[in-house]
Amino acid sequence: MEYINPLTGFRLDGRRPNEMRQIRGEVGVVARADGSAVFEMGNTKVIAAVYGPREVQNKSQQIDNQALVRCEYSMSNFSTGNRARKYKGDRRSTEISLVIRQTMEAAILTHLMPRSQIDIFLQVLQADGGTRSACINAATLALADAGIPMRDLVTSCSAGYLCSTPLLDLNYVEDSAGGPDVTVGTLVKMDKVTLLQMDAKLPIDMFADVMQLAIEGCKAIANYIREVLSENSKKLECMKGN
Amino acid sequence: MRETSLSLPAINDEAMIATEPEIPQAIDVLCSDSIATPGEILGDSSQFIAGKGSYLAPNGRNIHASITGHRRVLPPPADSTEKRSTVEVVGHKSRGAVPEPGVVVIARVTRVMARMVSADIMCVESKAVKEKFTGIIRQQDVRATEIDKVDMYQSFQPGDVVKAVVLSLGDARAYYLSTAKNELGVVSAQSMAGATMVPISWTEMQCPSTGQIEKRKVAKVLQTFFHFRI
Repeated sequence: MEYINPLTGFRLDGRRPNEMRQIRGEVGVVARADGSAVFEMGNTKVIAAVYGPREVQNKSQQIDNQALVRCEYSMSNFSTGNRARKYKGDRRSTEISLVIRQTMEAAILTHLMPRSQIDIFLQVLQADGGTRSACINAATLALADAGIPMRDLVTSCSAGYLCSTPLLDLNYVEDSAGGPDVTVGTLVKMDKVTLLQMDAKLPIDMFADVMQLAIEGCKAIANYIREVLSENSKKLECMKGN
Repeated sequence: MRETSLSLPAINDEAMIATEPEIPQAIDVLCSDSIATPGEILGDSSQFIAGKGSYLAPNGRNIHASITGHRRVLPPPADSTEKRSTVEVVGHKSRGAVPEPGVVVIARVTRVMARMVSADIMCVESKAVKEKFTGIIRQQDVRATEIDKVDMYQSFQPGDVVKAVVLSLGDARAYYLSTAKNELGVVSAQSMAGATMVPISWTEMQCPSTGQIEKRKVAKVLQTFFHFRI
């Protein structure tokens, strides 16, 4: 199957190889949560809700000098093409929960909130490839909305390699093609990588190009997220009457 | 000799020394009163101290924002030798109040025991808390005089709303509170008949419907009317 049209150079959905899908983010969508956000990357749509910092519910897990970060990732039954009953504790969800927790924990200034707990809940409403990245971006927006101190915004983007071309932001069809899928999570202003995952195999020189492409995608998402947070701040100021 | 406006610096020792750039990337540094997002550079550590909502980068040079909000610069404190101003970020979301030693709290009594009383802290100064904290008033902290002769059952009853001051963070289970002042103690209580009682002295409260007098450690509240809806 030709994932890149040899004549025009367009991908299956009409994008160029280094073009990301359309992104949209919104904060303050879950009224009860301390912070919440919706993040869309193309057809992938994810909701994040953050609760905390609050008292640790399970005293045995309490850490004396820093906050405990917990993360739960789950896909809704209706998120994929066929309505499949997804068990909450299945291996993929557990792995992604762990990965996202480690990524966000690296960015949160946990030493400022000892003996407390921060819960991040992620729910995938629509899955079309890149759910991991969309979840990390949504979690960043939600944590910033909750006012939890962070080192920097964590943004994530995926990139792949099909038909001898590095492709940015794979969708579900391109992801299922069996080619490599590199997911990168970065702290953009600090210029540090907090998440790097790949499945399938890739020669090391190609890997450098693909990873660099994903990092560029992360920077673009970070700029967008900053704009969303600034707009939201201004809107809240107006509502407060300043 | 006529000096032109676009003259190159003369190549001498002074020009070679002054090569260090003064302004870090101008696009990254924020001016006052702009909105900062986590990670943005607020200033240099030689000019500013990191205040609330900001932190010093590991390399020790830049100060970054850690939350979203307005950037604000505070002048250096007058009583110290510190010359640098403090830069902070004022966030829009207020965090729930947390009791600190020395602040006055409002708590509701949950359990009365022979030597101490358990209470749930509901307000800190004038802010309600987001999740309740547990506090303990020990027998020796109920009042300032004759502390060994205190009868807990005649000082507090379950359900009383009490004004207390936080003594310390206490142990893992509860904060330590004290009512050993005239203006601290029971602010509002219900009688056994169910009506809100009226204070008549610093040890007694009277039920308005039955006339029955019950003993409490009453707070001397200066306002003439104090109404609590229980």
